[in-house]
Parts: sequence; structure tokens; C-alpha cells
Amino acid sequence: MMGLLYPIQFECLAVVLAVLTLLGDAFKPLPDRRRLGYVLAAVMGLLLLYSFGPWIQVQDQTFFHGMYRFDAFALFFKRLFLLVLMFVLVMAAEFSPRIESGIAELYALILLCGTGMLLTASVNDFILLFVALELVTISFYVLVSYLRRQLPSLEAGTKYLVLGALSSGFNVYGIAYIFGTMGTTNFDTLHARLSALHASPSMAFTFGLLLVLTGLGFKISSFPFQIWTPDVYQGAPTPVTAFLAVGSKTAGFALLLRVLFTGLLPVQGVWVNLLMVLAGASLLYGNLGAIPQRNIKRLLGYSSIGHAGYMLMGVAAINSIGAGAVLFYLGQYAFTNLCAFLAIVAVSNVTGSSEISSFSGLGKRSPILGAALFIAMLSLAGIPPLSGFFGKFYLFVAVIARAATDWRYYVLAGIGAVTAVISLYFYLGVAKAIYIQEPENPANAGPIPVSDPMRLALYVCMAAIIGLGIFQGPLVNAAIQAASVFGLR
Amino acid sequence: MELLLIIAVLLPLAAAFLAFLFPANKPKAIRWLAIAATGISLALYLTLFANFDRAQAGYQFVSKMDWIPQLGVSFHLGLDGISMTLLLLVGFIAFAGTLVSSEIHERQKEYYILFLALTTGISGTFASMDLFFFYFFYEMAVIPMYLLIGIWGSLPPGKHGRTKEYATMKLTLYLTAGAVLALIGLLAMYYGAGGRTFDMVEIQRQFKLNPLSATSQRWIFPTLLFGFGFLASLWPFHTWSPLGYAAAPTAASMMHAGVLKKLGAYGIIRIALPLLPQGARYWANLLVILACFNILYAGWSAMMQRDWKFVIGYSSVSHMGYVLLGIATLNIVGVSGAVLLMFAHGLMAALTFSLIGFFYHQTHNRYVPELSGLARKIPFIGTCMVMAVMASSGLPGFANFPSEVMVFIGAWHRGTTIFQIATICAVWGIVVTATYLLRAVRASFFGPFDEKWSMLKDATTLWRKFPYALLLAALLVVGFYPRILTDIIQKSVAGVVEKQGVGVVAAVPAAERAPETGATTPDLVKVQP
Repeated sequence: MMGLLYPIQFECLAVVLAVLTLLGDAFKPLPDRRRLGYVLAAVMGLLLLYSFGPWIQVQDQTFFHGMYRFDAFALFFKRLFLLVLMFVLVMAAEFSPRIESGIAELYALILLCGTGMLLTASVNDFILLFVALELVTISFYVLVSYLRRQLPSLEAGTKYLVLGALSSGFNVYGIAYIFGTMGTTNFDTLHARLSALHASPSMAFTFGLLLVLTGLGFKISSFPFQIWTPDVYQGAPTPVTAFLAVGSKTAGFALLLRVLFTGLLPVQGVWVNLLMVLAGASLLYGNLGAIPQRNIKRLLGYSSIGHAGYMLMGVAAINSIGAGAVLFYLGQYAFTNLCAFLAIVAVSNVTGSSEISSFSGLGKRSPILGAALFIAMLSLAGIPPLSGFFGKFYLFVAVIARAATDWRYYVLAGIGAVTAVISLYFYLGVAKAIYIQEPENPANAGPIPVSDPMRLALYVCMAAIIGLGIFQGPLVNAAIQAASVFGLR
Repeated sequence: MELLLIIAVLLPLAAAFLAFLFPANKPKAIRWLAIAATGISLALYLTLFANFDRAQAGYQFVSKMDWIPQLGVSFHLGLDGISMTLLLLVGFIAFAGTLVSSEIHERQKEYYILFLALTTGISGTFASMDLFFFYFFYEMAVIPMYLLIGIWGSLPPGKHGRTKEYATMKLTLYLTAGAVLALIGLLAMYYGAGGRTFDMVEIQRQFKLNPLSATSQRWIFPTLLFGFGFLASLWPFHTWSPLGYAAAPTAASMMHAGVLKKLGAYGIIRIALPLLPQGARYWANLLVILACFNILYAGWSAMMQRDWKFVIGYSSVSHMGYVLLGIATLNIVGVSGAVLLMFAHGLMAALTFSLIGFFYHQTHNRYVPELSGLARKIPFIGTCMVMAVMASSGLPGFANFPSEVMVFIGAWHRGTTIFQIATICAVWGIVVTATYLLRAVRASFFGPFDEKWSMLKDATTLWRKFPYALLLAALLVVGFYPRILTDIIQKSVAGVVEKQGVGVVAAVPAAERAPETGATTPDLVKVQP
């Protein structure tokens, strides 16, 4: 029994925790729901520590009839998701005074959604892929519209629901085509059958593949499936936006890497060109679209499209450096975005606004929040000595590695370079508000209180951003080790 | 000694971290911390210079640590004659810049943190022998500059209708654009050398065994030339520079015009010339033409300016033209001249900007036509300004003179028509420089005294005079005894341009003659103490 549960222990624990939260709330409502969030975050932190223990052994085999993997790649992502859950729970606890009712349910939904994410890390079969993805997406339908009396939140929820359902439909339709043409949904079997295929795959298979990519493209918000991103990011409660930006996107990339680099690797000729185009288009759309934005959550929505473009560049390189670079990027991206959203939660709890102008003079009002948001913005822009710089550098290394044999990768790297400069413009716009501009309403510009757990979370994030920017080695090692399961060159 | 180099480079950054922990209501302590940090690193650079083995051409004080072995990145610091010279420059200017920052009264804590971070960014770039860390430090220098200008800068309203926010954003975007362009070239070279190491020395060795094809060199070289050229204010990518300097606070202008701008030229000399010799030969003619535009076009623009900082801003663009001309010669004399000129011009530009800052802080006015007879109230500053202007016009006795002569000799030696025309243009450029600078000095420091300025106070105490005297003294010492630097520069430059092959038939004899050229130039001999 224990052997059976061993590979899915994190998923089981997260579900149990979610159920306990709901049950506990039903029987004995806590007077202070805020504290519950901190406790759950602490439990996630302990789980994260536990996952580094010597008792967790990755295994080079599949479980549950080939549906599930527990390899270095899966473990890398499970740790990342635990980390994200921990910070998102802190954020939700900070945000809880602004939620009218159902706070324990919010925590439980976050945990259930996290369970889905933990599952995506190990997916080895299209059926499980669909189940894990739906678990994530359906939880998000509720989470996005959680501020149910506020119109923007409801609008965002509806948008996410309609487009999410559409993309799920595409996804499952595509899976049906792939099963219909290849007779399997298992990635390993698919890999073997496609390798044995001498001719190019049939039109029907290609059609199915494109539909599956559509479904995943929605999750990572890459062009042209990005339309929902800015609206939903702006309307959703801030902790949920953060969860979308780091959790959902990371889950999407975990699936994309797994599907493309195991099952669909033999037909890379079919999807690599498409991926390059998507990468370039996402880079341009996200970074150009962010320029006129006046709302920081909306700006981060566009920026998230741009960052999807950067990571797709690394996927499109189809080499071991690229896979490692994407994993490194996801790791540092989590810290960077969480840092930004933590600061946004703290500020908008006081100002009640997420317009960039409401952040003016933040450096004076609260040095720590100002510094945190500033560092996060610079890391997103890729400025040393912050982790975002090395993330981008590593991706460029991967792309140029391919450029030696295929000049089109130089074009892709060129687009990446140009958009990196463009992105600096709008990230510095936020920096300008923080440090250069004076508070817009001097009468209302007192210091902003920062609670202790928030302070701790901010310090951890900032230390991680700077630490990973200077001592990149440990995360690079972990990323390379995790990426090595694909055996790419 | 290796340890001293690491300490000297990282000390300002460490001080910045320390200042971060200081309470913001103790600005005095933070200021003293900054003075101590930059002062000690200057002392360390001087110690390193005194211990520098002048007979040896290669890198010295080398220390190497594996950083990201998976990608072949190592933390690799070391100095040769070129980087030693430029690090001395950083040391002088950072120290003087911290001293003249007493004019800053607002948010001093943030100011000194950013200034110190900027200092480490610049000195780290000069000391790095690894392409990754070269780029890392290079980019690191950009953002502190953005905030220094944005927060503490000032741009008097003028016809240009620009704000300091506009100026600083433009500067940052130009510099970053140049940096990412150069990054693509750097990565292409990394893979050209096998993709195993970012170590410059190692890559150079790889290229000696199996050089890059001429075609790829031709393609890669322009990315580095223009990428670094953005930072070196290569015409027509110079427009960020005068505007940025005009808007910057004094110490930031000093750092930027003095050393940050030199990073671009240094990148070309350190990376592009030795690693892509054929590419350099292919693009040299274009570089010469652009350098002439730098000299004459920017000189002409400087003549039209009425704001002191714009005058000096355009003048520094014009002077970078001489540096680029020296680089384009691809021979030892010319490139050494370029390096020495970077040193000389860096000191001169920093000195001028600090002097402008001195009187602007009191007058809140730096329009040449509105200032008059200032020397009567501030004789010390006036004297220093006259000397700075003389240095800038290349008068013998200042470091600018030997370096400009070396650039001209190097350029003339190339022998082709285009280089000789360029040399003539460049010499003519000195006349232009003298015209606008002397005109500006005459108008604002001499002539009838305007009662408006009777509240001006001169630098009277030794302490206030010290930063200006320090920069002047360095200029004069090198001006009177240029071999103190040219000896070590030339040895290292020989390593940079030695692989030039056929295109240097004219340059090889020049290389052998180089020491004598320096010695037989009559003025150099006469002025030796």
C-alpha cells in the first residue's frame, strides 16, 4: 500500500490538507482565518523541506500502467509547485480581509488546484494530462471570480471560463485524433510508434497535435492564445493572479516539455517551426502590448505573455541546454513574480488600487515594499546581478547553440534581444513610479504597514532573486539534472 | 596581490551592502563609508600599479574560480597594461566623484548605494577575463545610472524641451540596446570557439589553433562594433550622450563621461580586435569614416551649444572619435594612443564636469551667455577650468597631448588615402575643440563681472580643493611622463593587434619603432622631468 502511494505522496498530502481545511472550517470555524493561511503555508514549507530529504528517491520507471512518472524532472517541478503554493497561501492570508466569506474554501481551492499542478509534473499519458489540466483549470474558474460582488472579478471569471472551456475542448479533441491515428495515449508507446514511422505522420495526426498545442498554449498564455491574459490578470484577486502567473504557467510548461520531448520528439520537424513562430510572436505581442499599460496587474499580464515567448525560445531550441534553461527560467521566474505580487498585495491592501500611479513614492512610503517591487521588475527585465538576467542569458546561450546550424535561430535571438530592450522601458516605468515620482496624493501617503509573515516572505524572495543571480550554480545543476531525463543532445 | 585586485573591485559593492543596513538618518556615516571604500580601492589600484611587472605583456594578478562549470563560466579576474590603466582611471574618478558628492543632500543613503554599485559594475568590467562576467558587470552599471540621473539629476528647461526622465530613459535604452546586440556577437564567438568556455584567454587560444572563417568574422564583428559603439557614443548612435550628461548629477556625469563611456571602446579593444582580426580589417574603413563624423560633427554641435554641460557633453562625443580613430588604425601606436587617450580624456571630462558642478550648485545656472567674470569670485575653480580646457585642446604637458599624437601617428602610418584624410580631419578637429572651449571659458570666467554672481564662494579649504587637484595632478604626471603608462599599454596592445597578418605590413615597422616614436617626439623628451 505504501509502495503504491509513494510516487503520489505529495498529491495525496495536498488533497488531505485541502479536505481537512474544509472539514475543520465546517466543525470549528476559526475566529482568525488569516492565521490558518499562515499555518497552511508553513505546512507547505515543511513539505518542501521534506522533499529534499534522502528518503525521496527518484525512480526511472513508470507507475499506474505507464501513466505516471516520478523522475528527476517530476521532482523538480513538484518542489517548484510546493514553493509556489507556500507563497500563494501567504499572499491569500494577507489578502483575506478583503474577502467577504469563504476564506477556508479559498485555501482549500488553492490546495486542490496545487494538487492538479503537482500531478502535471508527472504526467506520462494524454488521459492523465487532461485530468490534471482540468483539475487546475476548474479550480481556477472559481478562484478567478472569487470576489463575487466585484464586477471586474466576475468579468475575468467569465472570460476565463469561456476561453478555458474552449481550450479544454480543443485539447481533448486533439487527444482523440492522436489516439485515433496512433492507437495509444501513452507517451512512451507514442514515442516508439512515431520513431518506427518512416513516412511523415498523417494529416489527421498533425491536426491532433496542433489541437493539443492549442490547449497547452492557452495555459502558458502564448500567442495566439493569450487574449484572456491581461483581462483575467487584472480582474482576478491578486493572489489568484500570482497563482496563474507562476503556478498555471509552470504547469503548462511542465506538460509542454514532457509532451514535446518524450512522445512527440520523433516528429519535431512538424512542431519546431510552429514553436519558433509562436515564440517570436509572443515576445513581440507581450512586450509591445505592455508599453501603454497603466495598471500593474495588467502590465504583468502582458509581461507574462512576453516571458512565455522567452521560454518557448528555449523549448524551440530542442537541445539539453535549452531544456535546462527553461527549467532555470521557471525557477527564478517563480521567485521574481511572487516577489512582485507580494508587494502588490501589501500595497493595494492599503491603497485599494493597482494602478501604477498608486505606487508612486513607494520607495519613501515603505522602503521594503519599494525595494521588493523594484528588484522584481529589474529581474523581469533581466538586469544583473538578479536572477532574471542569468535566466535570459542561459536561454540565449541555448538558442545561439542551434543558430550555428540554422540561421533562423539568429532571427529568433534577435527578436528576443530587441524585446528585452523594449521590456526595460515599461519595467523601468514602474521603477520610476517607485523611486523618482512623488506620491500622487501627499495627504494620503503615510507609511504602509507590512506584517511579519509578509516581511519574511519578501526577504526570502529578494534573497532568492539576488542569490540566484550571483550563485547560479545550484539551480543550474538541478535544472540540468531534471532536463537530463529527456536525453537530448 | 590577486586578492588585492578582487578586494579593490568588490569593495565598493560590499560598502553598498553595508550602507543598505545603515539607518537612513545617518547620512554622514554613509558618506564617510563611501569615501573610505572608494579611497581604499584607489589606494589598492595604486599598489597594484606599483607592483605591476612592467616587463611582462600578459595578464597579471590573475585569480580564477569555477563559477558555472556546466556552461564554462568562471570568475576570472586579471590585469594587463590596458585594463590596469583604465582601472587606475576608475579609481581616481570614483574617489573624486564621491568627494564632490557633498552637494547631494536628499536621500543620501540611496545615492551612495547606487554610486558604489555603479563603481563596482565599471571596475568589474575592466578586470574581468571571462566574457560572462564582462557582460554581467557591464549591464550591472546601467541601472544605477538610470536612478542617479532620474532622482538627483537636473535638466534646465531649454529649447530642447526634454525632461531628465526622458534623458535617463533614452540613455538606459540606448545602452541596453547596445549591450544585447553585443551579447549575440559574444555568444556567437563562444560557439565559434567550441562552446565550452567563456574565458577570453582560452577562446583566443582556440581561435589561434582554428580561426573562425572570414565570413563569420565579418558577420560577428559589426555586432560587437556597434553594440559596444552605442556605449562609446559612436556616431550616429551618440544622441543619448550629451543629453544624459546634461541631466546627470555631477558625480554621475563624471563617472559616465569619465569611465562608463570608455567601456565601449575597451570592449572593442579587448574582445573584438584580438578575437576577430579579419573582421576588424574588413570594417576598419567604415569605423574611420564614422570616427571622423564623431570628431567633426560632434565638434560642430558643441560649438552651437549654450549650456556648459551640453558643450562638454558634445566635446566628449567628439573626443571619443579620436579614440575610435586610434582603434581603427589596428596598429600598436594607434591603439595604444587610443587607450592612453581614454585615460586622459576620462580624467579631463571628469574634471570639467566636477568644476561645472561646483559653480552650478551655487548659481543654478550654467548658460554660457548668462555667466560672466566668474573667475574673479572663484579663482581656484577658474584656474582649474582653464587647465582642463587646455588639456582638452591637447596642449603639451597634459596627458591628452601624447595620446593624440600617438593616434595621429598611428593613423598616418596606415598609409591609405582614407586614413590620411581622416588624420587631417582629426587634426582640424583640435582647432574646433579649442575654439568652442576657449570661447566658453572666456565668456563665463573672464570678461566683466556680473554682480548677480557676487554670492559665489570658492573652494578654499584643502579638502574642497583636493578632488580637483587630484584629477589635475594625474593628468599632469602622465602628460609629463607618458611612458609611465605607454610602456605597459604598448606591451599589452601588441598582444591585441599582433595577429593582424597581411593588412599590417605598414604597421609592423611602426610596432618596432613604437618605443622610439614615443621617445623621439621632441616635446615628449623636453618635458620629461
